[in-house]
Amino acid sequence: MGEFKVHRVRFFNYVPSGIRCVAYNNQSNRLAVSRTDGTVEIYNLSANYFQEKFFPGHESRATEALCWAEGQRLFSAGLNGEIMEYDLQALNIKYAMDAFGGPIWSMAASPSGSQLLVGCEDGSVKLFQITPDKIQFERNFDRQKSRILSLSWHPSGTHIAAGSIDYISVFDVKSGSAVHKMIVDRQYMGVSKRKCIVWGVAFLSDGTIISVDSAGKVQFWDSATGTLVKSHLIANADVQSIAVADQEDSFVVGTAEGTVFHFQLVPVTSNSSEKQWVRTKPFQHHTHDVRTVAHSPTALISGGTDTHLVFRPLMEKVQVKNYDAALRKITFPHRCLISCSKKRQLLLFQFAHHLELWRLGSTVATGKNGDTLPLSKNADHLLHLKTKGPENIICSCISPCGSWIAYSTVSRFFLYRLNYEHDNISLKRVSKMPAFLRSALQILFSEDSTKLFVASNQGALHIVQLSGGSFKHLHAFQPQSGTVEAMCLLAVSPDGNWLAASGTSAGVHVYNVKQLKLHCTVPAYNFPVTAMAIAPNTNNLVIAHSDQQVFEYSIPDKQYTDWSRTVQKQGFHHLWLQRDTPITHISFHPKRPMHILLHDAYMFCIIDKSLPLPNDKTLLYNPFPPTNESDVVRRRTAHAFKISKIYKPLLFMDLLDERTLVAVERPLDDIIAQLPPPIKKKKFGT
Amino acid sequence: MVQLRPRASRAPASAEAMVDEGQLASEEEEAEHGLLLGQPSSGAAAEPLEEDEEGDDELDDEAPEELTFASAQAEAREEEWRVRETVRRDKTLLKEKRKRREELFIEQKKRKLLPDTILEKLTTASQTNIKKSPGKVKEVNLQKKNEDCEKGNDSKKVKVQKVQSVSQNKSYLAVRLKDQDLRDSRQQAAQAFIHNSLYGPGTNRTTVNKFLSLANKRLPVKRAAVQFLNNAWGIQKKQNAKRFKRRWMVRKMKTKK
Repeated sequence: MGEFKVHRVRFFNYVPSGIRCVAYNNQSNRLAVSRTDGTVEIYNLSANYFQEKFFPGHESRATEALCWAEGQRLFSAGLNGEIMEYDLQALNIKYAMDAFGGPIWSMAASPSGSQLLVGCEDGSVKLFQITPDKIQFERNFDRQKSRILSLSWHPSGTHIAAGSIDYISVFDVKSGSAVHKMIVDRQYMGVSKRKCIVWGVAFLSDGTIISVDSAGKVQFWDSATGTLVKSHLIANADVQSIAVADQEDSFVVGTAEGTVFHFQLVPVTSNSSEKQWVRTKPFQHHTHDVRTVAHSPTALISGGTDTHLVFRPLMEKVQVKNYDAALRKITFPHRCLISCSKKRQLLLFQFAHHLELWRLGSTVATGKNGDTLPLSKNADHLLHLKTKGPENIICSCISPCGSWIAYSTVSRFFLYRLNYEHDNISLKRVSKMPAFLRSALQILFSEDSTKLFVASNQGALHIVQLSGGSFKHLHAFQPQSGTVEAMCLLAVSPDGNWLAASGTSAGVHVYNVKQLKLHCTVPAYNFPVTAMAIAPNTNNLVIAHSDQQVFEYSIPDKQYTDWSRTVQKQGFHHLWLQRDTPITHISFHPKRPMHILLHDAYMFCIIDKSLPLPNDKTLLYNPFPPTNESDVVRRRTAHAFKISKIYKPLLFMDLLDERTLVAVERPLDDIIAQLPPPIKKKKFGT
Repeated sequence: MVQLRPRASRAPASAEAMVDEGQLASEEEEAEHGLLLGQPSSGAAAEPLEEDEEGDDELDDEAPEELTFASAQAEAREEEWRVRETVRRDKTLLKEKRKRREELFIEQKKRKLLPDTILEKLTTASQTNIKKSPGKVKEVNLQKKNEDCEKGNDSKKVKVQKVQSVSQNKSYLAVRLKDQDLRDSRQQAAQAFIHNSLYGPGTNRTTVNKFLSLANKRLPVKRAAVQFLNNAWGIQKKQNAKRFKRRWMVRKMKTKK
């Protein structure tokens, strides 16, 4: 494999934003997640829990509620008082309608999917009609005294439960008047000065209302009489979220201590028909508040302030007990936030509102395997570039020569020219960018830094010629057949002839850059692409999919390579297919065409195409065997996949030159250290 | 209290006075007349008293001045007229002042507003009532907001009527900034509510350091806290020390040479 000096980089201060709401869609098995900075991400649960789409955030958007309506329409409402609809095909926001009730705290779609109910700051509950292209205000319900923090429809659509501060109201939908007002105790069996905030309500079809509040109680109410049936005290802190399964035989609640409780409807005795709600399982997968939970038919989904998204499949619901029934925790992003300029050893880090440019340190010492070499020159923070405006940065890139930086937000595209003169750096912005370049999903520079490739969210692919300090728009490839569905990835060949783009559902398109036309299309695969790269001399396109399959396609021959066919015939090792995190970056060695370097969050792997492939019986992860082993043994156990788990969690790994690697790590403790304060836990002896 | 003695000259005089000035039946006149009635009466009543008293005094033998009523009346009338004049002058002065101030305000307001041409265009555009797609309006709104940010806050806030459509050659949307302020303040209040209910007083929160160090405290071999060092302590002192060290090294090098 060779010896490499590895730059271990830990100064990328990446802190994801906390999860505020999740919404599960049963028909398409997708999960919409909204974070505190306004980003909305869509995860495809059937494609190995891959984040396939996202809508960038905005500073003024503080989303408080997210819901799916009929026909796969996604709506969100927030503290800026607006209801927004997201266009999942065009990957932009269709419209934002002001509800004129002040900040919106809660939103619920009717069981039929044609009406939308919104609870506002001024205590009003507003009903909206969902029309094919927009939503329309229908009427207001009776106005209540305090803000409506949670809403729930009765499955038949006739009644609504609204949770507010210190009380719950039940409304009749037809008349809009409040039928019952149930006062919630401020403390379980006691008195308290702090108001009781009802964080979540759920309305079951037999008329039971389940409420969770800030005193740590889960209460069952009867909506026909407006009385309290049962009260459970489950936590010392707030219980902040509740989600009921479709069959109404189980529900899940999340608390501020990070615990998620599962309640189930079980018969009182083994053969009686009477059933009662029993708290069955506690799960402690979070350290901070669990602000939102969802219940899919087979799993419990929770997310909160500690930024993890946790999927806990329920063993009794899972059909086949294989690796699918394991806990899944999504912590790290599914796309690459770092770009690298190999010539000047620069790294560009993308944050939500700014970019950072660092120069790697250098060392003159040498050592043997496993040594840590002292730095003669420290890493240098060269540039901190803040974006103008409240929008988040969607994507960014630095050119391989290090003289151009480009990034894009929803409304603007920025291109900067960098000049280096002995350790100093000066920045100059290229003004008057054309309007069609904004809202780019992916930006890539060619190897010689003369061309800029931009994939916009309308599906078009633009080629811009860069020269000196100016640019010129060369060509725009219009979207081919197939809708723009998945996130777009770009890859350019080092000789500058070929450009691969994976933005559509029709497969990966390969364009000839010199002749400006479509060359071929890699056949479509039903799992989204997570990483792509084109090898230097052979012009083989290597594609990694979210189900951990790796394909190699030869662009000049317009077919899969022999090696790829062999791998597909034999299949990957089962441990390789059971990895949790997607491959986010692929790169190649300039002098060794048989090597492919790829990495995901917990391992990096060099695939040596000349060695034999492992079958299911061999050990996949075999570190370098000790030298006292015989040569024969070493040759027998050697296989094509050389995996190393030394550096984890990895956000980025690339080959700088023949003997140097750079690995950007982000230890989980460093992320947790910058999160908001958690609830105090009292442990005996401390 | 002065005692009013009935006097023969008085009654016809009062009647004359009433008749003469009956045309000017203003409250002021009556009040003044009343005053006149009051004052001279008091004065007149006072005089004979004084006269009487003085009359008692043998030293002063002079006869009192013969003050005809006509002269007194004339004096009173002049007095009245003077007072009226001053009031009128004051009123006109105030009026003028007010007028000038109004004009000044109108001018200032005109200066603050957009030039007439743009206002005309806006009003005509709203009348035609073109319906643009909501997406475009939203993006235009964003553009306008960007322009606003770039313009800076040196000009005072402009209050323009909200216009639904967009003018043809220029792409901007005029919004009332008063609405935006209200919206921002409500959003701030809502965020403050959430923050208070989750992290405010009464909630049982602890720092991340303490939370993660709980495990360290219960180990068989106790370890230090997760964030043991406080790197943010004494930043200024450390910077000064670094600078001093650099300067000292340079000085040392110089003296060595």
